[in-house]
Amino acid sequence: MSNLSAPAGVEYAEAREHEVRKVRKVMIDGNLTANSQTSEGGISARVFNKGYWGFASIPAMNQKSAEKVAKKAADNASAMCRFGERPRLELTGAGYVGEHGYNGRPPMSQKESMDVMEGVNDLCKTRYPDLKSTSIMLHEESHQKKFNTSTGGDGLNVINRAAVYLMMTAEDKNGQPVELMEAISSKGNLADLELSMGKLEPILDDLHGHLQAKCNAVPARGGDHKIVLSPELSGMLAHEAMGHPCEADLVLGGAVTGNLVGKSVASELITMMDLANSYNGEELMIPVYADDEGSESIDVILIENGILRNFMTSRETAAKLGIQPTGNARAYTFNDEPLVRMRNTAILPGSSKLEDMIAGIENGYYLMKTGNGQADSTTEFMFGITLAYEIRNGKLGSAINDTTVSGTAINMLKTVDAVSDDMHWECNGYCGKKQPMVVSSGGPAIRAVAHLGGE
Amino acid sequence: MSMELKNIAELTLEHMRDAGFDDCHVSVGVSEQDELNITHNEPSLLRSTEDYAVSMLGIVDGRKASSSLTDIGEDAIAAEITGLFERAKSAPQDEANAVSADQVSHFEQGPLESSLDLLAEKTSELLDFRAASAPKVTVEEGGAAHLVSRSHEVTSQGTELSSIIGCYQLQVMGTASEGDKSSSFNYTGGRANDLTGRHASEWFAIGDMLVDTQNQIVTQSIDARFTGEVILAPSAVSDLVNWLLGQLNASALIAGSSVYENSIGEVIATPDLFINSDFDAPGHVPYTDDGFTARPINLVEGGKLTTLLLNLYGSRKTGLDHTASTSGWRIEPGSDAKEDLIASIKQGALVNRLSMGQPAANGDFSGVIKNSFGIEKGEVGTALADTMVSGNMAQMLKDIDGISAEHLDYGGQDFPFFRIPDMHFS
Repeated sequence: MSNLSAPAGVEYAEAREHEVRKVRKVMIDGNLTANSQTSEGGISARVFNKGYWGFASIPAMNQKSAEKVAKKAADNASAMCRFGERPRLELTGAGYVGEHGYNGRPPMSQKESMDVMEGVNDLCKTRYPDLKSTSIMLHEESHQKKFNTSTGGDGLNVINRAAVYLMMTAEDKNGQPVELMEAISSKGNLADLELSMGKLEPILDDLHGHLQAKCNAVPARGGDHKIVLSPELSGMLAHEAMGHPCEADLVLGGAVTGNLVGKSVASELITMMDLANSYNGEELMIPVYADDEGSESIDVILIENGILRNFMTSRETAAKLGIQPTGNARAYTFNDEPLVRMRNTAILPGSSKLEDMIAGIENGYYLMKTGNGQADSTTEFMFGITLAYEIRNGKLGSAINDTTVSGTAINMLKTVDAVSDDMHWECNGYCGKKQPMVVSSGGPAIRAVAHLGGE
Repeated sequence: MSMELKNIAELTLEHMRDAGFDDCHVSVGVSEQDELNITHNEPSLLRSTEDYAVSMLGIVDGRKASSSLTDIGEDAIAAEITGLFERAKSAPQDEANAVSADQVSHFEQGPLESSLDLLAEKTSELLDFRAASAPKVTVEEGGAAHLVSRSHEVTSQGTELSSIIGCYQLQVMGTASEGDKSSSFNYTGGRANDLTGRHASEWFAIGDMLVDTQNQIVTQSIDARFTGEVILAPSAVSDLVNWLLGQLNASALIAGSSVYENSIGEVIATPDLFINSDFDAPGHVPYTDDGFTARPINLVEGGKLTTLLLNLYGSRKTGLDHTASTSGWRIEPGSDAKEDLIASIKQGALVNRLSMGQPAANGDFSGVIKNSFGIEKGEVGTALADTMVSGNMAQMLKDIDGISAEHLDYGGQDFPFFRIPDMHFS
């Protein structure tokens, strides 16, 4: 790591060498429409002085660049003093020292990835002649960050994740297109996904079966309904519904969670955490040992048996709230400044069985897959539902058309009356804020009342 | 700097040819940004970034691969070309792979020098306006920025495109609160070539947004499901436009999932709808990702779709016409006053933002309406919460029965208000 040139007389300084490598391959009906590899790397410096921040970055990683950005960052912080004096704020937290690399399988070769995509394409063409289109996307992403801070932080954090997206398109009885996608994700690179046809075939069969059901889907009835969220969805719920409103910058910006610490915000069946790097002795998909401010990343209990407990913080937001930093400050690329971001956000499993949870609903829905979601400072959340089934008298009925589930997190989480003993983790997609970010989310199945969009 | 980019692009092209590629496309770019940030109602951060990128696409024997890297040094590029060639050789053959030919152009626009004084002035104006006119709002994040980008791209078939653009940007995102109640977060912003001449609050409806957000602390839900009308604000109109554009691009047409595959010349929207390109809007360059100059397009004329938006690969794959297009669109304002459109609503909502999942392939969607107000008998009432609308995007385009004279230009998105009936509220 280039030596941090901590400018004299500043209260806090940090430097980061950060490289992001990505691979993206897309095949649509046997046509390779994308076969790309990107590498983005550079060095940044950030300075905090007299209540203001200065940041600078350059796409080079050498000593001269380190010195250039350190000076520019200090100059920028000084330039901010034109806005007047600020009250002193002492940034809290010690500096973490440690290196955490990644040991996985050797990367998948170009030929191996072509074999996987062509294998899936050929199988779908033969086995599912009713399909209009099959798409496969392979994606892997590697973040390597070296950091150095004036608080004594010095280390390396490596985050790798890989995902494959399988998309099928068919036509309904009116000739209208119907789509369904399955995402498989994990820590590491594409080789770590172990994408054998033996593994993929049952997944493809399952996906096709659900797509056929969707071709005969009925509209969802708009309004409040008893629902079961599959384990694949409860991570999205954790992330959108209460994860974002527990980010300290949103709390300081006026999110309603600011007044609710120590109060009931969910059923006592709900415990929700933002985990730093491990769960039950296993390293998680996005293992963060230290954040980009060199703070040790610690687990944050957001909700404990229904009671709101803690927020996720950076050094500055922790200082403003009078608490310790939790190691949640992360930047997406070298030219981004660290923001409060989630890491591995999950609702913890309970003791119910999924089949019993469904059987206990007379009239409702089983929500299985989602595409994206959004949060709000009011804790109102939404996420798109791309696969769901009616529940009638405790049994699954017709598939429903794509819909959206929403609610106010606090109201919705208070209606939770069953949490399954499953636990599903995933790390596909990006969390959006000022910058994108790789995150993972997880959880069990949950039964609750929520609002569905529909006629 | 421009000569340096040209030299790097041409040298890289030559190395790719030497490596054995039949056809190549190289693009080299440099960008710089100064961004003055607001956090929680205070100026907080000045961020200065430099970025370089060299992007390479190579075709050998009909097989394609691409790379992009920020290290534009000769050694790094040479190493990347070696890997790129190996990846291309292992890719499947595809006759549709090709590079652009004989596109030659230079484009320059906007302010190339950053003015910290101007950034600071506009930041102060934003904060002063908030304090005076929207004191219940906390600006969570926002600020002013200047961006300058230079690029040079070449292909093995004679294309040479270069550009230098600069622009300013203003953005604000915030929440209003009173006691233990809070509004939804609200935001707006855009790009312009010159921020002088207008108060910061007058750009991109920033002032209106901040004042409106104060009126969104107290909310109500609807009593029961109903079918009603919406006035879509320009920020929500963009969701409709983006869905339409997604239906017309190569991915949807190759996959056969577009509902408009056979709709050229057909009426797909109200006869009052005219959607035109705005490819040289502030901060935009009228070149496509695959190396074409994007000429002006009248995409929808009197409700009729005039063209699909297939890139070169998509065109060669499907056999349909190639249309060079990039980002930046404008909808012609109508003749209805916005207040008259609102006054015509029996029961419905003024919708500023739709928070929703990706619409289904056939255009079906449902979404939470955000930063929105109920309308009853022509009167705008209380802000709404916990309210969803559902419908079909394609049907909405046909059902538009009012287009306002008022429009908002965000710099690359210039849209009026739409009145649309028969939306399902729940």
